[in-house]
Amino acid sequence: MRSITKRFPGVLANDSVDFDALHGEVHALLGENGAGKSTLASILTGLYRPDSGEIAIDGKSVEFHSPRDATAAGVSMVHQHFRLAASLTVADNIVLGHSATPWLRTNPTTIQSQVAELAKRYRMPVRPDARVWQLSVGEQQRVEILKALYRGARILILDEPTSLLTPQEADDLFETLRRMTAEGRTIVLVSHKLDELMSVSDRVTVLRAGKLIGTVNTDESSPRELARMMIGRDLDTSPLGGEVGAKRRVGATESGIALELKDVSADDDLGLQALHRISLTVHEGAVFGVAGVAGNGQRELAEAISGARPRTNGDVLVKGRHLRSGATEDAIVRGVAHVPEDRLGTGVSPSLSIAENLILKSHRQAPMSTRGVLRHDRIRRNALDLIKRFAIAAPGPDTPTRLLSGGNVQKVVLARELSSNPAVIVAANPTRGLDVGATEAVRALLLEAARNGVGILLISEDLDEILLLADRIAVIYEGRIMGVVPRSTADVQHLGLLMAGSSA
Amino acid sequence: MNDSIVVVLVASSIFYGTPLVFAAVGELLAERSGVLNLGVEGMMLIGAVTAFWSVQHIAGPDWLVLTLATLIGGAAALATSLIHAVLSVTLRANQIVSGLALTIFAGATGLSSYIGNVANLGGQPAKHEFTAINVFGLSGVPVLGPVLFHQNALVYASWALVILALAYLYRTRTGLHLRAVGESPQTADVMGIAVARYRYAHTLAGGLLAGIGGAYYSLAITPNWIDGMTSGAGWIAIALVIFAFWRPELTLAGAYLFGLFSSLGLVLQAHQVPLPPELFGALPYLMTVAVLVVVSTGWAKQRLGAPASLGVPYVREER
Amino acid sequence: MRIQRRLATPHWLLVAVPAGSLLAAFVATAIVLLVAGKDPLAIYARLFDRAFIAPGALTNTLVTATPTLLTGLAAAAAFRMKLWNIGAEGQLYLGAVGASGVGLALRDQSGPVIIAGMILGGLILGAAWAIIPGLLKAYFNTNEIITSLMLNYVAGLLLTYLILDSRSFWRDLTSFSARAFPQGKVLPDGASWPTFDVGVMVVPFGFVLGLLAAGLLWSLYGSTIFGFQARILGDSPSAARYSGVKTRRVVVLMMALSGALAGLGGASEIGDFRHVLDPRGLQQVGLGYAGIVVAALARYNPFSVVVVAFLLGGLANAGYSLQGPGFPAGLVGVLQGMILFFALGGELLLHNRISLTLSLSPQGRGLGRGASTP
Repeated sequence: MRSITKRFPGVLANDSVDFDALHGEVHALLGENGAGKSTLASILTGLYRPDSGEIAIDGKSVEFHSPRDATAAGVSMVHQHFRLAASLTVADNIVLGHSATPWLRTNPTTIQSQVAELAKRYRMPVRPDARVWQLSVGEQQRVEILKALYRGARILILDEPTSLLTPQEADDLFETLRRMTAEGRTIVLVSHKLDELMSVSDRVTVLRAGKLIGTVNTDESSPRELARMMIGRDLDTSPLGGEVGAKRRVGATESGIALELKDVSADDDLGLQALHRISLTVHEGAVFGVAGVAGNGQRELAEAISGARPRTNGDVLVKGRHLRSGATEDAIVRGVAHVPEDRLGTGVSPSLSIAENLILKSHRQAPMSTRGVLRHDRIRRNALDLIKRFAIAAPGPDTPTRLLSGGNVQKVVLARELSSNPAVIVAANPTRGLDVGATEAVRALLLEAARNGVGILLISEDLDEILLLADRIAVIYEGRIMGVVPRSTADVQHLGLLMAGSSA
Repeated sequence: MNDSIVVVLVASSIFYGTPLVFAAVGELLAERSGVLNLGVEGMMLIGAVTAFWSVQHIAGPDWLVLTLATLIGGAAALATSLIHAVLSVTLRANQIVSGLALTIFAGATGLSSYIGNVANLGGQPAKHEFTAINVFGLSGVPVLGPVLFHQNALVYASWALVILALAYLYRTRTGLHLRAVGESPQTADVMGIAVARYRYAHTLAGGLLAGIGGAYYSLAITPNWIDGMTSGAGWIAIALVIFAFWRPELTLAGAYLFGLFSSLGLVLQAHQVPLPPELFGALPYLMTVAVLVVVSTGWAKQRLGAPASLGVPYVREER
Repeated sequence: MRIQRRLATPHWLLVAVPAGSLLAAFVATAIVLLVAGKDPLAIYARLFDRAFIAPGALTNTLVTATPTLLTGLAAAAAFRMKLWNIGAEGQLYLGAVGASGVGLALRDQSGPVIIAGMILGGLILGAAWAIIPGLLKAYFNTNEIITSLMLNYVAGLLLTYLILDSRSFWRDLTSFSARAFPQGKVLPDGASWPTFDVGVMVVPFGFVLGLLAAGLLWSLYGSTIFGFQARILGDSPSAARYSGVKTRRVVVLMMALSGALAGLGGASEIGDFRHVLDPRGLQQVGLGYAGIVVAALARYNPFSVVVVAFLLGGLANAGYSLQGPGFPAGLVGVLQGMILFFALGGELLLHNRISLTLSLSPQGRGLGRGASTP
C-alpha cells in the first residue's frame, strides 16, 4: 500500500501512509485508538476506498470496490466484533456469500465435511452443525478465521483479535497463525497490545494521528521504543504509576467499609450461574480494582451490585446496610452509583436531553419532582450547574445526549452519579473508547471522588488502568475472585495467570 | 361415506385454507428477509379485484384465461407491495405504519373498492372459475378421493408452492442468504450479500403470492366480486406465519387448521350444537396469541423464533 | 443515493415536509382519478365542500373526527414510547360494549349519572382489553403488535355474538323490528351525551373530552414522572432498567391508558352518535385503524392529533356522504393511504440528509462509497 490517504468529515484518518507485508510474515499494525490503523485495514479489505494512493497485491495493482473484490484477491479480515448469523449453523456461516458453492445444495453434509476437513487441517476444532449462538467467543473466532480460509485468503487481517480471549485462547490463536504463515500466507495484526506484538510479529508498523511513524523489525526493537513511537512520549511503566499514582498515595487511610459483598452468586441472561459466591470489600476512599478478560462475570457483578440483576445467593451491604436483591431503586437510594460500560445505550437515554439524563435517577424525589410532577425549573438549574462543574462540552442543557462525543457522554454519566453523593461507585470500563484527554479527565474525576471518601469499585478489562488506579487488585475469572493483592506487591505475570484461571 | 361430515370437513378445510397458504407463504418470505408487511389484506383484495376484472374482460379457453387472471392478480398486488418495499427498505420508514397504510390504501375502503366500482364489477358472476378437478379419475376413492383428488388447480398449486418454498429456504444458496439477511443483515452485508435487493425481492414475492391468494376468493370461493371479500383473511395469514414458526410446511398445516375452524362453526350450527360460531371464528386468533407467548420466552426464542431483524430497517454502519 | 443522519432538524423542514407530503398525496391521487377518466379538481372541490363548507358539514365532520381523535390519542400515547398498540379497534368495541351496558343498566338514573357511568364503562373495558397484550408483553415479552391485532378480531366477534347470536343483555328481544332482524337495545334518552352549539358547528361531548384528553396526555408526557419514565423506556429499555424504572408497570399502565382512550372513543360512539350497540356499523368504519393513521401523521403530538383528526374526519365524512353513482367509492382510502405514504417517506427527510450522486463511470458502484462521518 503506497501513499494511502483517507479523509472523513472532520478528520484525516490516513495521511499518505505506506505499508507493505511479505509472504509468510506476521506484520503488526500498532497505534492508539484513533491512530488510523483500523481505517487502513478497512481500506485493505475493501470496506473503504482511499482518497488517493495505490494498493498492489503480489506486485499487481488492484482496486477494491467492495469486500467481495478484496476476498476475490485473497484478502480477508476477521473483525473485532464478529459478523456471524447467530441462528445459522457454523457450516452455513462459513459458506455464506461464497459464490463457488453450488446453488442447489442437494446434500448439506458435503459442506459440513469440507468444513470439518478444513478445521482439522488447522487444528481448530469446531462442530459444523452447531448453531453459532451455542459457541464460546473463542470458538466463534475460529469460525471467522475458517471463513477466511475457506475463501482461500492469502492475506489475513486480524483486528484486535485477542481482546475477548483468555491468555490460553490467545496462545492457541497464535499457534494457528504460525501454521498459516508457514504456508506462506501473510498475517496483518492490528493491535494496541505491545506485549502480544512483541511475541508474535516479525515486523511492526506504527501509526500515530493518521501518519506513518515507522516500520521496524520486531527483534530489533523493544516495547519501550514501540510505545514511544505510538504515543510520542515515554509510557510510564513504573509500578506506582506517575502523576496519577502520586496523587493517590496521599491520604489513603483505610477507613470505614463502603461496599461489602458476601458470598454473592447470580445467574447470567441464559440462566447459567455467572457469579460464584463472590466476596470482596471496598473501603471508603479506596479504589478496588477488578481485573479480568471480558466475559468472566464483570457485567453480572456490576449489575448484581446495582440491583439490575437479582442475586441467587449472598448479601450486598453498602455502609453496613443490606441491599434488596434485584432492586435498582433500593441501590440508588442507598448510595450505589453505577457507571456502566455501555455508556450511550445504558448509561444515558440517548434521545433525551442532557438535563433529563442528569436526573435519570433522581427524578423520583424532591427537589426534582413533587407529587409525581417534574419541576422543570429545578431540573434546568441542576443541569446548568453540573454542565459547568464538570466542563461538559455541549450547546446547551436541552441538547439530545446522543449528539455528544464519547468523552462528554461519560462526563454526563459521571456528573450524574457523582452529584448524588454516593457511598460507592461501580465503574465498568469507564475509559473504553475514549481519547487520551477524556480518559485522563474521567480518571481524575474518579480519583477525586475517592479523595472525598467514596469507595470505588473499578471493573476494567484494561490491566494497565487497574495497575494505575487501584489500591487493591482482584482478578475475576469465570465468576470467581481468583485472588486479591495490594497494588504494591502486584506482579503482572501473576495477575495474567490468575486472569487465565490458574490459581498458582 | 364420502358424504360423511368428517370427510366433507377435511376437504372443505383444504378448500377454504388454500388462499391462506398463498398469502402466508408470501408473507413468510418477506418476513424471512426482515420486512414485516401488514398490508396483506389490502394486497389480497387488489389481487381479487384485478383477477376478477381479467376474467370478465379476457376471452379465451378456461385454462388460459384463469391462468392469466391469476397472474394478473398477483402482478397487481406485487405492484402495490412495491410501495411498501420502497418505504420500508430504502426510506427506512416505520414498517408497521407503512403496512397499515397499504391496507387502508388498497383495501376495502380504498383502491380495490375503487377499481371494482369504476369497472362495475359487482353483481355479476365470473365468466370463468376454478372448479374441482378430477385428478387421475380418483375422486371417487373413499375418504382420500374428495380430500386429495377432487380439489381445484390452485389447491394443487399451493402444495407445489410449499414444497418449492421448503427447497428454496433450506436447500439453495439463495435461501441460505435469505435466512442470513433476516437473521443478521450486518453479517450478510459484510459477506457481500445485497441486503436491500433481497428485501425488495422477497417483499415483492410476498405481494405476488398475496395477490394469488386474493384471486382465489374471486375465482374459486365465490366466483363473483364483493367489496372486501377476503374479510380479514390477510390478517389471519399474518398470524399464520407466526403460528407456523416461519416454516412453510407448518403454514400448510396451520392454514388447514384455521380453515377447519371456520367450517366447523357453520357445520356445528347446522347440526344444532349450541356453541356459538363466533367461538370458532375466534380460535385461530387466540391460538396465535398462545403460540406467540410460547415463542417469545427466552428458551424458544432462539430455537423457534422470528428472524432477528424483523421490522428493523437496515442501515449500513459507516464507521 | 446517500443518506446521512442529521444532527438537528431545521425548523422550516418541520412544516415543509408534512405540507409537502399532503400536496404530493393529492397530486398522486389526482393521477389515479385521471386514469379512470374523472375530474380530480371537481372531485376535490366537492370533497372539501362536503367536509368543511356546506351547511352542517363541520358538524358532520366532527361526527367522524371525535372517535378518531380519541383512538388517535390512544395510538399516540402508546406509540410515543414505542409500544405498538394496534388494538385500538378492539378496545373501542369493548368500550362501546361497556358504555352501552352501563347506559342500559342505569336507564332509570338521571342524565349526568348515566353519562358518567358510560364514560367509566368505556374507560374501564377499553383499558381491560388493552391490558391483556400489555401483560403479555411485560411478563412474557410477547410482541404486542400481533397480540393486540388478534384481539381486535376477537373483540369484533364478541360484538357480533352479543347482538346477533346470543340472548344477551345488550340485545333487543322485544320490539317488532328486533324480531325480524337482530339488533341492540336502544339506549334511553338520558344516555345521550350533550352537545355544544358554537354557531358554525355543533360540538359533541366526546370531542370536548378528546380535547381534555389531549391536554392531559401532553402534560403526562411532558411533566410527570410516569411520562418521563415512559419516554426513557421508549428510548432505551436498558437505560430504563438501569435507572430503576419499573418497566413492567410502565408497560401495563401505558397500555391501559391507551386502551382507556380507545374505549372512551367507543363510549362516545354510543353516547354521542349511535345510541345503540351496532356491531355492523362499528366494524365497518375502522375507527381504531384510522386512529393509527392520525397518530402517525401527527407524529404522536397530542395537539397535532386534534388537528389531523379533524382534517381526516372531514375527508372521511365527505367520502361517505358523497358515495353513490358519480362519485368513486374507495377514494377515501386511496387518499388516506397516499397521505400516509408520503408522510412516511417525508419522515426520512426530517431525520436525514439525502444526497443523490450521479455515477458516470461504469464502475459507479464504487464511487463515493464510504465517505461518511466517523
